[in-house]
Order: sequence, then structure tokens, then C-alpha cells
Amino acid sequence: MSTNLDVGNVLDARRQHDSSLAREKRAGRPLYVPIVLLLVLAALPALQLIGGYNYVLHLALYTMMYVAMASSWNILGGYTGYVSLGHNVFFCIGGYFSGMLLAYFGVSTILTAPFAGLAAAVIGFGIGLVTLRMRGPTFIISSIALLMVARILFDNWHFVGGANGITLPQLSLDARWMKIPYYYAFLVIAAVTVYTSYRIKHSKFGLGLRAISQDEVKAESAGIDTRFYKAFAFAISAFFVGMAGAVWGEYLTYIRPNIYLVILVAANMVLMCILGGKGTVAGPIVGTVLLVLFNEFFVATMGASELNIMGTGIIMMLALLYFPNGIVGTLAQKRRLPRFLDWD
Amino acid sequence: MIDILQVLVLGLALGGVYALMASGLTLIFGVMRIVNLAHPIMILTGAFVSYWLFTLYGIDPILSMPVAALVLFVIGLVLYKLVFAREAASAKYSEMTVLLTFALAMSFDGLLGALFSNTQRVTTPSYGTQAIFLGDLFIPTAQLYAGIASFVIIGGLMLFLRYTRFGYAIRATTQNRAAAQLMGVNVEFVSLVTFGIGLALAGAAGSLVSFIFSFFPAKHWEWIAILMSLVVLGGMGKLMGTIVAALLLSVIAAFVGTYAGSTWSTMTFFLALFVMLLVRPQGLFGDRIEEA
Repeated sequence: MSTNLDVGNVLDARRQHDSSLAREKRAGRPLYVPIVLLLVLAALPALQLIGGYNYVLHLALYTMMYVAMASSWNILGGYTGYVSLGHNVFFCIGGYFSGMLLAYFGVSTILTAPFAGLAAAVIGFGIGLVTLRMRGPTFIISSIALLMVARILFDNWHFVGGANGITLPQLSLDARWMKIPYYYAFLVIAAVTVYTSYRIKHSKFGLGLRAISQDEVKAESAGIDTRFYKAFAFAISAFFVGMAGAVWGEYLTYIRPNIYLVILVAANMVLMCILGGKGTVAGPIVGTVLLVLFNEFFVATMGASELNIMGTGIIMMLALLYFPNGIVGTLAQKRRLPRFLDWD
Repeated sequence: MIDILQVLVLGLALGGVYALMASGLTLIFGVMRIVNLAHPIMILTGAFVSYWLFTLYGIDPILSMPVAALVLFVIGLVLYKLVFAREAASAKYSEMTVLLTFALAMSFDGLLGALFSNTQRVTTPSYGTQAIFLGDLFIPTAQLYAGIASFVIIGGLMLFLRYTRFGYAIRATTQNRAAAQLMGVNVEFVSLVTFGIGLALAGAAGSLVSFIFSFFPAKHWEWIAILMSLVVLGGMGKLMGTIVAALLLSVIAAFVGTYAGSTWSTMTFFLALFVMLLVRPQGLFGDRIEEA
């Protein structure tokens, strides 16, 4: 055997082999599922033509918002393995950024949402550079502390209304059409977030993030700039949460620290990912739908938000104890994952 | 001058209570590496036990301390058996327990809120509104009693850890779990009982909290970060360090509160936590960091 192997050819062959495998996988992926889902959701507001389905729209809108937030959290908490219990800080930053622009200049939050996301991402990058130096439990503790610090700051910041917040102007639309602009805004945000999450998972960047979650020291020694990767993941995951916060403020017609900076919002994001499957693309969506339905059911039958908190806590505990990989993760492990959920 | 002394004394009395609140947390972390985010809600559970014993039967909160401690001890044993014993083999144990205790905290928060509603409460024993004057020095009796009771309990805990066989076992398990097991310590049993003791300390602290703070179930989120800052500052799992950190931060917070407003006094703890995690994550008295 000759010693001067043609390295170029070997690499080419390998690349070809890899890409053909990837093509096969992509061909097997049921692309029609997200498309049908999007079309159905886009057509849903037509219900308003035949009657008052505001509740259905609200529920769909709320679910889409949390799909965006949970998928976004998943980029940091699922792929990278850094669990943040204070991620609603960026929800709040986004909400206040766009909310203040609306209150003072009358610009719709739907237009300013990307900038709100950018503001959240920039702040997230900065915070990430600092707090991501810790890992494991210490990072989680620091994220809770971050939430507490933000709560105190916003409660006492008089320019943005302090603890009472400020009211935002409403759209002058008929009650029947009031929800439509926000509905489509959240549809777009959710779709873009899930697509970004999918693209990240299949990129070199996503591979780096997953390497970090497996073993950070080895990832670092394999040449991954872990510090930048982590902070950038933090920024991306803050971006979409910030965008969701921006539109959510105008939708509620007021912004106030205690709609953004309550621990339940953060817990919801975490729980949706754990329930559906941390680190999978479809997991946060499944988890969100389940949890929103569960919450509605709980509130409708028992009517108390305290019991709701208790129920959320108990579900989270059971999920952690019995399905630490979540629904999608567990099914995939057993090779029982239905094709329409296999987006990874 | 008297002002400074005044703030110092109030800070120290409160610091004693904080030290008691954090002592169970640091004990549990030391032995089991569990970051117990549910600790503050357990303190509130203890506070509710004392509150109802006082409101219904007129039992003084200081006297009902053993009852609260016992209730929480039992809760601790049950929770450990149900939740934590089975997780010991998990790969990401430490991180997992943080999420588990977080979920636990939420469940208890909701339960207490549903049972007793989120209104501000405080037990009002007769000494609750009195004060002692030492010259120009003014000391509220409630805080004085709470401070003294805390120091007595912490003293007892330290004697127990230092001079009993079981105390040895706990300290050995804290230092090196595997080695302790090899020396014949039943680490599983030690963990179980330590978790119980940790929560019992939370219950006792709750009795004191019930008459020096007004409390409501959702208040524990604020305490999570406060107590964590004490534990981190003291060097995760170091009891003495935690006590010193509690006294130190509490006095600093008292000064900040006096001269800059009470909002910023809570901020002291959070900022201390951040600075400490960044500058010296092993804490003031810690010597090494456990790989998480």
C-alpha cells in the first residue's frame, strides 16, 4: 500500500457520504407537518367571521408566545445545558423597551419588537459573559439572583412607572379584530424561533453548544471558544424572549414588573422544555401545548391560581423524577418517536 | 456614634436569625450536595405552624419552636425518601436536585397559598411590640429574643456536630463521602437524618421569623437569593463560614438600609452573591470548588 494517500480524495468521499446521509435524513423528515400547522394557525382567525372566538384566539396566541419562549430557552438550557431560572428578565427588558417606545412615541410594539429583542440580546450577551463563568448549580443560583435584582430595579425605577407600571394605548379596533395583529405577530415570532432553533441544532454552532453541555473542558480543548459560544447562545435565547415580551406588553395594554418578573413565567419556560424534552426541537412545542392546556383545565375547574402554582410544581417534580428526558426525548430513546415529531 | 452602635446591634440580632435560617441549608449542601431551593418555603412552613399554634391556642412562638422543628423534621424524612434518595445515582445529580427543590418550593408555595391565602401575617406575642433601652440604645425585645434563641440553637448544633458520634459521622460525610463510607459510616442514613435536621432547623427558624417579620407564602422567593448569598459567601457547606457571612452581610445590610433606604438593603445580599460568585466562587472560607 502506498504511503502517500490522496488526502483530498478521502475527505471528499467522506464529505459526500456525510451529505448523502444528511439528505436521506432530511428526505425522511416530514416537512408537511410544520407547513400544515402554520397554515391552520394562519387560517384560525377566520373563525371571527362566524362568531366570537376570542377565547380560542387568546389561547392559541398565548401558546404561540410560550412556544417561542420555551424554544428560545431551549437554546441555552437544552442545547448548551445551562439552566436559567431567571430568563424572564429578558422578557421584561423586551417588554419595557418596546412598551416605553409605544407610550412616548406611539410606535407599535409589533414594529419595534426586533429592536426590543436586540436590546435584550445585547444585555444578555453582557450578562452571559459574566454569569456563564459559573456552571451547574451556581449558575442556576446566579440566575435567580439576577431575577431578584431586576425586580428591585424595575420596582423602583420611576421613569418606567415603578411597581405600578404604565398603561399603554390600545388599538382602535373592534373587539372582534383586536387580537388579530398580535396573533399574527406571535405566529411569526414563534415560527422564526422554532426555525432558528432547528437551524442552530443542525449547525456547527449547535454542535459546539451540545459539546459544551456534554463536557465543557473537553469541548474547550477540542478548540471550541466556549466562552463566546455560551454567551452567544445566551444572547440568541434572550433575543426571542425579548421579542415575545415586547408584543405581550401591548397585547395586555399595560406593562408592570409583576407580569414579567414573576418566578412562574421562568418556571413555565423551564417546565415546558423538561416536559417536552430538553434539547430537542419539537420538545418545547409539545411541552408548551400540554402545559397550557393543563393550566387552562386547572383554572377552569378549580379557579385558583395558587393551586395552579402547586400543580405546576408537582408536575415538574414528577417529570424530573420519571421522565428526565421529556416526552420527545424518552420516545426517541425507545425509538418509538412518531415521524411527525421527529424534527431533530 | 450611638447611631452606629444602634445599627450594629440590630444588624447582629437579625444576623443571628439569618444564620439560623441558612445553617440548615449549608448542612444539607455539605452532606448531600443538594442546593435546597425549597429551604425558605420550609422556613415559612415552620412560621405557619407557630402562627396557628399562637392564634388558636395562644402558645408563645418561642415555646412552639420544638413543635415546628419536629413537624419539619418529619417532612424532611418523608421528602428525602420520596424524592432525593432515588436521585443519588443520577449523572447530573447536583443540577437535578436544584430543579427538583425548585419544583418542591413551587408546590409548597402553592399549597400554603391555597390553604392560608397570600395575606401578610405576623404573630403578636406580648413582647412583639416592646423594646429595651440600654442608655440611648434601643433594642426591640422581639429581635433580641430571636437573636438569643438563634445563637443558642446554633451553639447547640455546633456542640452536637463536635462532640457526638453522629456529629462526627455528619462531619466525616461532609468532608469526604466515599472515605466516610469506607470507614463504616452509613452515609445513606446520615444523609436521611441530616436532611431531617436541616429542615428541623428551618422549622425552628420559622418560629422566630413568625414574630420578627410579617410573612406570606410567596415571600420565600426573596429569601432564596438572600440565603444562597450567605451560603455562597460562607463557602458552600461550611457552617462556621455561613454564620460569619450571615452576621457580616446582615450588619452591612443594616447600615445600607439605614443610610440608603430599605430597598437597597436587600440588594446588598444579591450584589454580594454576584460579586462573590465572580471573584471568589469558593467563598470566604472555602478551600476548593467541587466540580459541579
